[in-house]
Amino acid sequence: MSTLTGESTRVASWRLLLRNPVTVVSAAVLGVVVVVAVVANWITPFGVNDVDVPNALRAPSGEHWFGTDELGRDVFSRVLVAMQASMRVAVVSVAFAVVVGVMVGVIAGYRGGWVDTVFMRVVDVMFAFPVLLLALAVVAILGPGTTTTILAIGIVYTPIFARVARASTLSVRVEPYVQMSRAMGTGSLYILGRHIVPNIAGPLIVQTSLSLAFAILSEAALSFLGLGIQPPQPSLGRMIFDSQGFVTMAWWMAVFPGATIFVIVLAFNLVGDGLRDVLDPKQRTMIEARSQR
Amino acid sequence: MTKPAVLAAVGVVVAVVAALSGCSTGSRVDLGDDSSSNLVAAIAGEPDQLDPQKTSAYFSFEVLENVFDTLVQPDANLEMQPALAESWEVSPDQLAWTFHLRRGVTFHDGSPFTADDVVYSYRRIIDQKLANADKFSAVTGVTAPDQSTVRITLKQPTPNLLTNLGGFKGVAIVSRRNVESGQIATHPVGTGPFVFASQKSGDSITLKANSAYWAGAPKVSGVTFRFISEPSTALSALQAGEIDWTDSIPPQRVASLKSDDSLTLAATPSNDYWYLALNEARPPWNDVRVRQAIGYAIDRDAIVQATSYGTAVANQLAIPKGNPWYTPYDGYRHDIENAKRLLAEAGVAPKTLDMLVTTEYPETVTAAQIIADNLAPLGITVNIRTVDFATWLDEQNNGHFDMLMMGWLGNIDPDDFYYAQHHTDGSSNAQKFSNREVDRLLDAGRVETNRNARGDDYAKAATLIADEASYIYLYNPSVIQAWSKRLSGYEARRDGAVRFSTATLTAGGAT
Amino acid sequence: MTAALTHPITRFIARRLLYSLVVLAGVLVAVFALVHLVPGDPVRIALGTRYSPEAYSALRSASGLDRPIVEQFFGYLASAFTGDLGVSFRNGDPVTVTLLERLPATVSLGVVGIFIAMVIALPAGIFSALREGRISDAIVRITSQFGVSIPDFWLGILLIALFATTLGWLPTSGYRPLLEDPAGWLRHIVLPALTVGLVAAAIMTRYVRSAVLEVASMGYVRTARSKGLPPRVVTFRHTVRNALVPVLTITGIQLATILGGVIVVEVVFAWPGLGRLVYNAVAARDYPVIQGAVLLIATLFLVINLIVDVLYAVVDPRIRLA
Repeated sequence: MSTLTGESTRVASWRLLLRNPVTVVSAAVLGVVVVVAVVANWITPFGVNDVDVPNALRAPSGEHWFGTDELGRDVFSRVLVAMQASMRVAVVSVAFAVVVGVMVGVIAGYRGGWVDTVFMRVVDVMFAFPVLLLALAVVAILGPGTTTTILAIGIVYTPIFARVARASTLSVRVEPYVQMSRAMGTGSLYILGRHIVPNIAGPLIVQTSLSLAFAILSEAALSFLGLGIQPPQPSLGRMIFDSQGFVTMAWWMAVFPGATIFVIVLAFNLVGDGLRDVLDPKQRTMIEARSQR
Repeated sequence: MTKPAVLAAVGVVVAVVAALSGCSTGSRVDLGDDSSSNLVAAIAGEPDQLDPQKTSAYFSFEVLENVFDTLVQPDANLEMQPALAESWEVSPDQLAWTFHLRRGVTFHDGSPFTADDVVYSYRRIIDQKLANADKFSAVTGVTAPDQSTVRITLKQPTPNLLTNLGGFKGVAIVSRRNVESGQIATHPVGTGPFVFASQKSGDSITLKANSAYWAGAPKVSGVTFRFISEPSTALSALQAGEIDWTDSIPPQRVASLKSDDSLTLAATPSNDYWYLALNEARPPWNDVRVRQAIGYAIDRDAIVQATSYGTAVANQLAIPKGNPWYTPYDGYRHDIENAKRLLAEAGVAPKTLDMLVTTEYPETVTAAQIIADNLAPLGITVNIRTVDFATWLDEQNNGHFDMLMMGWLGNIDPDDFYYAQHHTDGSSNAQKFSNREVDRLLDAGRVETNRNARGDDYAKAATLIADEASYIYLYNPSVIQAWSKRLSGYEARRDGAVRFSTATLTAGGAT
Repeated sequence: MTAALTHPITRFIARRLLYSLVVLAGVLVAVFALVHLVPGDPVRIALGTRYSPEAYSALRSASGLDRPIVEQFFGYLASAFTGDLGVSFRNGDPVTVTLLERLPATVSLGVVGIFIAMVIALPAGIFSALREGRISDAIVRITSQFGVSIPDFWLGILLIALFATTLGWLPTSGYRPLLEDPAGWLRHIVLPALTVGLVAAAIMTRYVRSAVLEVASMGYVRTARSKGLPPRVVTFRHTVRNALVPVLTITGIQLATILGGVIVVEVVFAWPGLGRLVYNAVAARDYPVIQGAVLLIATLFLVINLIVDVLYAVVDPRIRLA
């Protein structure tokens, strides 16, 4: 595939991405978020569980940028560490979903036949459950906690990757070079690895970004319900839950954790959108055409 | 198919859905027949069951206080007054009590209340070893010489028999038919001022006034107990006039509510107390020095402040100040160095502590986080295990915990405060504490009829209990309740019992 | 009559129905397995703390837990078909009755939420599509991205803090049935439905926009324009009306999604619906209720998706043949 100007696909992708200011800003924000998440433990000004009851419910100040909560803990430090926890849960669970989902979807799409039918029926059953309900059900079985949350979110998002992978596989499978490889008798695994997977990467990358966004929201919802990351480990959802009794007295307890979730999810969504514009052939042609004018 | 057909189909679906959302199944008793005089009370949780002799949840007792009666019941000063029993005598040797029952009392299903019902109720508790069987530990026999007399024989003098028989509704008089039909846990039938009407799981319980109540029919047409677990939600509902009464009040708002003219706020010192208990069946908590170390490590004042915002009183013993049986004690203070010293002396260095708390009582979750921070300098990592109340009870009774935090509510007699929890044979001694001297003192207190000697016994027992850290006592909370200006004839009680039998609502009902 | 039976639509509906039943069977198995995979003894948890061995074996056999698991499953299936989903471990109430009691609250929340969503998304999506590429389009698109990214429970809490607690205009929580107290019903449903609806509106705006765009680029619109009809006429008559049907189907999908996602909103607003029921049941390990509620919600989800698919196929011949 080449663009109208004849440049190679990869280089053109980057340049197109960079043209969209929204995507650039969002990607930059994500970059900051990732860096902060990685170094969170080292940059917290206060201990995450340093209780200081006499200083409870203090408004944001020079000393406590995000104020203090009902036990006097520094909200800024807790938000940083909670952000790290959320990112970790989101990344691991989506990684799980990608690996398992893509495997299932590619095999189903490539093999076809009864393998395809069986796999996809199971996927359909999973789709019959609303996301949060399925996650709740998994937590009900395994008990609340970080590991369960990762597993629950991972399981819940596997179907979408299976479907995306399968759809892409189906369209790539009929490409001439794949047909030729099969005719030549090349091993399936080789074909899968060399031809199929790299070419379905586009939609998968887009879906990954979007799923990361929703994984963060799901983790926050589960923690809000008390079924996710357990106290005293800080989690953004739980911080919002705890803030409920204090909303009129200490707005910072609700606003900062919520805004953090919002910013991260928004960034993932906008980057995902930008990626879709670039990596989805239909959209891309229109954009390229427009940028030629 | 054409577009109009599609739209018609959609229209039908919408209509069906609208109809569904408009209806509600089940009887609409939550608004009452005369909605303007139906009292709506919001409590913080749903009763686990409605069998008064089996439940141990405060939420259940809030409701059951109005459905059942006991032979005697405490008044506002916690002195025992006649209820189902009009009068009583004690034999000269203190071993036999005779109660003369009130006549003309009926159960809510119309059947007459007789001495047989008293015998049945008490025997049920004793024979089936139900939750409050230890209140009858000195009882050798319960008989009904005739239908309005009950005779209770004891094996030793029991000065606190009256509080045992009426301190709270855990020893209420139940109907044999109600119990044997299995209905009592979900459709209780009692003799009290209100009749159980219905329960909407997760939402509310509705009671209707018992017009044949022996102390006079209630002046409200009924009471609806709504379950609102979020205190700020309950408070907003009260301020908006949607409910008439609540005890689910965020402690951090008490200070500002005191000056709120739209409602009546009562913060009454109570006889409740909150404590920590270390599981002595598990090393190293069986070593008294280790337990004392924990006692020195925790910051009691911070816990009190964070859980109650100044409405509670820190106390290192159970009985609150102002109670005639109060004993001052301040053996512990927040002293990390001392704690470390004690641990070193005991020669142990525990790395983790499994702390059991429950979402049913958020103060335990709050306190747990403070304690986690308090114990960190000792090198102990506290694992906070938050479970629902049913699981919490299970874990407590099976000894699956290192430390737990809980409260005992509404105690009256010093025996109530100490026996069941700290006697080797106590029915609520989940921490497996055993001290011979404490046992001796508690047993002596049970039979001692001389007031001063009795007070002495309990003072000594309490001091020992604290020294040995059977419980690490934290504080006495206040009973905090608020109600609308339209509600009168109600007062907050020190034992936390919620009684609406004399309440009146002036016009302008809660919706 | 025979013509109707062999009509492609009927065949399509039959195929989809059969397929849905297969998925439903899978759901039943999954739900049943879910509850029986749970560690811990449900009977012990149900009985609480003090109980006698007799009570234990009585409840165990009454719940059928001492029978082989396959037999239990078919027993469950059989009773489920007759509407008996067992009784709650917490309070002994029949699960079916409890579910039906809680259904109206959730349904009204879903319906009003969707309504709010449509009221916002339809105009916004159409507007945005018609101004494609312009700044106003970008603004609408970014705003809808905002809506999708906001945690719904956070939005609910903020709305309560502003409109209920601070301004006192609306109640903070609770529900009133429509037929008993219409004014109260409206007042209580505004905030939760707004919470649900705003987020749903954000999602739907994007769909509406792309549906309109797709229709606008179709041949017959260009033909209509070339016939010389004034642009406004073209817009309304052809673009919007043709885009309306996929939009309606999206509405159906959204309704289904909302039904599954209301759990958190119901918790925030103490809304006595199915979502909060499931949440409380999970917290209390009330397995029959969890089982029943999950089954009901999943079935509703399936049914709505089925209706949506059928509607879509009825209108768009291309789908039927797929």
